[in-house]
Amino acid sequence: MNDLPPVAGKYRYPLSLGAIALVFVLLALSAVAFGSSWIAFDQIIGVIFGAGEKTQKVIVLQLRLPRVVMAILAGGGMAVAGFLLQKVTRNSLASPGVLGVIDGAALGVVLFLALLSNESNALVTSIAYQPVAAAIGAFVAIALVFMLSGRQASSAIRLLLFGIAVAAVAKALTVIFMLIGPIYRASQAQRWLAGAVNEVNWGEIQITAIAMLPIMALVLLAARRLPPADLDEVSARAVGLNLPVFRILIFALAAALTALSVAFVGAVGFIGLMAPHLARLLVGRNVYAGIVGSFLLGAIFLVSADMIVRVTFSPLEVPAGTVTAIIGAPYFLFLLMGKQRNDG
Amino acid sequence: MTDRSSARIDVRDLSLSYGKVNVLQSLSLPIERGKITVLAGPNGCGKSTLLRAIRRLHKPTSGGIYLEEVDISRLGDKALARQIGLLAQSPSAPEDMTVEELVRLGRYPHQSMLQPWSPDDASALESAMSGTGVSSLRQRRLGSLSGGQLQRVWIAMVLAQQTDVVCLDEPVNHLDMAHQLDCLDLVRQLKNAFGRTVVLVLHDLNLAARYADHLVFLRDGAIAASGSPEELMTEANIARVFDVNAHVITDPVHHRPLCIPLSTARQASA
Repeated sequence: MNDLPPVAGKYRYPLSLGAIALVFVLLALSAVAFGSSWIAFDQIIGVIFGAGEKTQKVIVLQLRLPRVVMAILAGGGMAVAGFLLQKVTRNSLASPGVLGVIDGAALGVVLFLALLSNESNALVTSIAYQPVAAAIGAFVAIALVFMLSGRQASSAIRLLLFGIAVAAVAKALTVIFMLIGPIYRASQAQRWLAGAVNEVNWGEIQITAIAMLPIMALVLLAARRLPPADLDEVSARAVGLNLPVFRILIFALAAALTALSVAFVGAVGFIGLMAPHLARLLVGRNVYAGIVGSFLLGAIFLVSADMIVRVTFSPLEVPAGTVTAIIGAPYFLFLLMGKQRNDG
Repeated sequence: MTDRSSARIDVRDLSLSYGKVNVLQSLSLPIERGKITVLAGPNGCGKSTLLRAIRRLHKPTSGGIYLEEVDISRLGDKALARQIGLLAQSPSAPEDMTVEELVRLGRYPHQSMLQPWSPDDASALESAMSGTGVSSLRQRRLGSLSGGQLQRVWIAMVLAQQTDVVCLDEPVNHLDMAHQLDCLDLVRQLKNAFGRTVVLVLHDLNLAARYADHLVFLRDGAIAASGSPEELMTEANIARVFDVNAHVITDPVHHRPLCIPLSTARQASA
């Protein structure tokens, strides 16, 4: 924060938000264009609007577009969840990953797969319940972190410490259930450990998009009440925001968004940490610009991470979550060190 | 004691505890309209708790607080925030927030989904900033301000809230002498120019005597004495409430009582 000029420029965010949106569109098109065969942008747009030859249609609509669309939804969803958590805890280190929400959701899904599959490797219930299982795991995780932090839930450092502890336990349980669970489910559960957007289908995208829409609408409604949450608890309450109650609402929204984002993609880490942080640097403090900017940047991160693993490791399917972790973990350490300097 | 009918806020038989510790014990206090009431007392006497209870930040165990005969526990969060403002003891906001952004937050309780920002909000913002002399700082980030400037900005935020009652919890705590006077002159202006009812927690007895219309001494969660500074600032009262042997004279400039501490009068029991 010290690197920012003391005087704030007034209308900065429309320009930077426009630039981010442009990068987002170009990147999304490139992600569809790249692959074993190159497909030009105009042809992609043609296929999306119903034109194009048959093989191109199959490649674009069945193979490449689903993973790009899922990467956009999941990356964007996690980034908005991170934005909400960072805002309401007043801490740039908070994120769905650090607060244990992602690993909680992962545990929910692995349990769901392990308990509700039959011998022939088929789910005994609809796959549409997978996000519900993720949501239950995510809610339990954040509620646990919140309760363990006790009355000092507003103390950021306690939240982070308990979050990291809950995440570690959830991760360990996930591994245990993968090992003792039905062996035929292990490979499907495997992507949960790192997160990947391959093998997604339009049905899963549909479920994710339909559920995400009302949650995003709620986020935009709640955003009006976010600015006073920047203040300490007493000051926020003094201007009429019931912060303890509002914080629970925001935690629930963030948990729901995280669960939806990772339900079919797996535990992609650090996007919820990096994207909102970068968004704040680029678009400033306006909450609506921050939410849109976070979504676009989160989408950009996951789409590029998926592109990197596709281009670099093809034909092996390396989970995109490995790339976000390799970039994200040092970024987290960098933020942590900056934090220490400020406190000391 | 003050006549009940002119009371803006009436604290009635208020008891409050943190867990098992009783902090306030059946305390009653009318707070006069358009006056500066200063709460003073030794550490742990409950003065900040009382102030926060008046702003409904603590829930009473029994008794209540009435604003113009209305029990404040019946008011909504925003409705109460339009009536009573509070400046916390050590408020904090992000360093990269601008002055104008912070003062704008004072308008939060006046806004709704259908009325996000009105001309009323704009004029309240401008008069709060000009009234506290921070208009020229509007685009500055909070992290770049001095302690004195920052305190003015926080007062501007509370002023922008346009509440009839303004509570301030030790507003001069970390300020140097010039900024202390500056800040309290501003508080007096809230009363004189804007007609606000002010409730103030102050540590410094001489500042309290100088700025208070009505002074309240608290000790052990109860009111030890209440009245004008002249009535209250006696050597006997100061010894009884603060455990300090003091000499009280009349300030030759402002003609208010002035206390000169001599020694502690604490019994060796502690």
